[in-house]
Amino acid sequence: MNKRILFALLLVALPVLAQSDAQWVLEQSSLTYHMSHPMHEVNGVSHAAKGKGVCHAGQCDFLIAAPVKSFDSGDSNRDLHMMEATRGAQFPMAIVRTRFPEATTTDTTIYVDLEVQFAGQTAQYKHVPFQRVSQGNQVQISGTVPATCSDFKIDRPSFLTVPIKNEIPVRVEMTWLPM
Amino acid sequence: MVRIDAWKTVGLETLALCCILISVTRLSIAQGVQNATVMQSVESTIAPIPSSDSADLPSAPEPASAIALKSRADQAPATAQKQQSQTDQQQQKPETAPSLGDLGFTPEQTQADARTQALLNKRTHMLKVHQTLGLITTIPMVATLITGPQAKAKGKNGQTVTEPTAANLDFHIALGSLTTGLYFTTAYFSMFAPQIPGVKPKGAIRLHRALEWVHGPGMIVTPLLGIAAYKQENAGEKVHGIASYHGTAAYVTAAAYGTAIVAVSWPIHWKFWEKQ
Repeated sequence: MNKRILFALLLVALPVLAQSDAQWVLEQSSLTYHMSHPMHEVNGVSHAAKGKGVCHAGQCDFLIAAPVKSFDSGDSNRDLHMMEATRGAQFPMAIVRTRFPEATTTDTTIYVDLEVQFAGQTAQYKHVPFQRVSQGNQVQISGTVPATCSDFKIDRPSFLTVPIKNEIPVRVEMTWLPM
Repeated sequence: MVRIDAWKTVGLETLALCCILISVTRLSIAQGVQNATVMQSVESTIAPIPSSDSADLPSAPEPASAIALKSRADQAPATAQKQQSQTDQQQQKPETAPSLGDLGFTPEQTQADARTQALLNKRTHMLKVHQTLGLITTIPMVATLITGPQAKAKGKNGQTVTEPTAANLDFHIALGSLTTGLYFTTAYFSMFAPQIPGVKPKGAIRLHRALEWVHGPGMIVTPLLGIAAYKQENAGEKVHGIASYHGTAAYVTAAAYGTAIVAVSWPIHWKFWEKQ
């Protein structure tokens, strides 16, 4: 009886010993929001995002964050207005968290649930597809977060009394490296 | 035989206990490190986020009325669903999940700055007023340009000079005065809007600001030349000298003003006919 208990305990304990956390670091990135107005099409880009991923016990947790003021639309006046509209000084970071099974990390298309903290609000996006391309030890991830102004309670900026479109999709291009 | 069995049992027990002890120790260390990480996390230094459920993804229940997004060219077909996180969380944050403190941002980058936010809010408010008044100013400005020729004496030197009617002249003066008043009120909201430290002008705003050096002096000179021209006409003289440049100054000023408006709106994509 004791032997069986000991064997059972061994079976439980050994996988714990066998586990080794895989960690990833964001090597470079490009986050681009697109803003649309009947008179303007604007892209704001940030290359200042930082990220880290940890895979443990078959689950991967990733965190990516970028300073809101790092987004550059090519016009300082517009960027300051964006900062004001998104409460970017009060909530200076855009933070994305995601968790997905480690087994999916080898798929060419990864569907992830995203939690985005931005402008003092948190929004969740379910089943967002990201393309994965592996080059050597680098992994390139690309996709689009279907963000909207209303998700973050952002008053839509207007020009000539016409507000921008509610949709502000964010194109994500990232290169990850194992740590 | 009995001794060998006993050895096996004792050895197995020892091995199992060692494994358990090591694994428990590892788990405890991991927990401790995680707690320390959380304690030191920079997240504690950033502004509190109103949403109370900002911690974890997997815990969010499926949306009761999830919105299926329309497919876009750069997205997978209609698979993304989104949900405002106003729902209860059911699971805890994973112990191994990285925190904002792990990413290496400086406290300056992550700390809330209420003063700058207040400056941004005031700046935006003043510039919105500036924009609105600036657009309104174009109406009397264009009207003043249109009525200009009717307020001008006609006829060459040596010929009969036709003086403008008093009504035309007064109307032109009134429009010019209204334009000047609105212009300088508009300028006030631009000049006294708070500056955000460390931000260098970039993009279309640079041309918009550069043109201030044309239409700004123009809006001072044009009325002064207009007053001089008015005095000469009232004296029965044909407008002459520097006053004769009143019209030219007005056109240059209006052109610079119009260019400044277009510049700050550039590039313009005319898509009003497209469905939203």
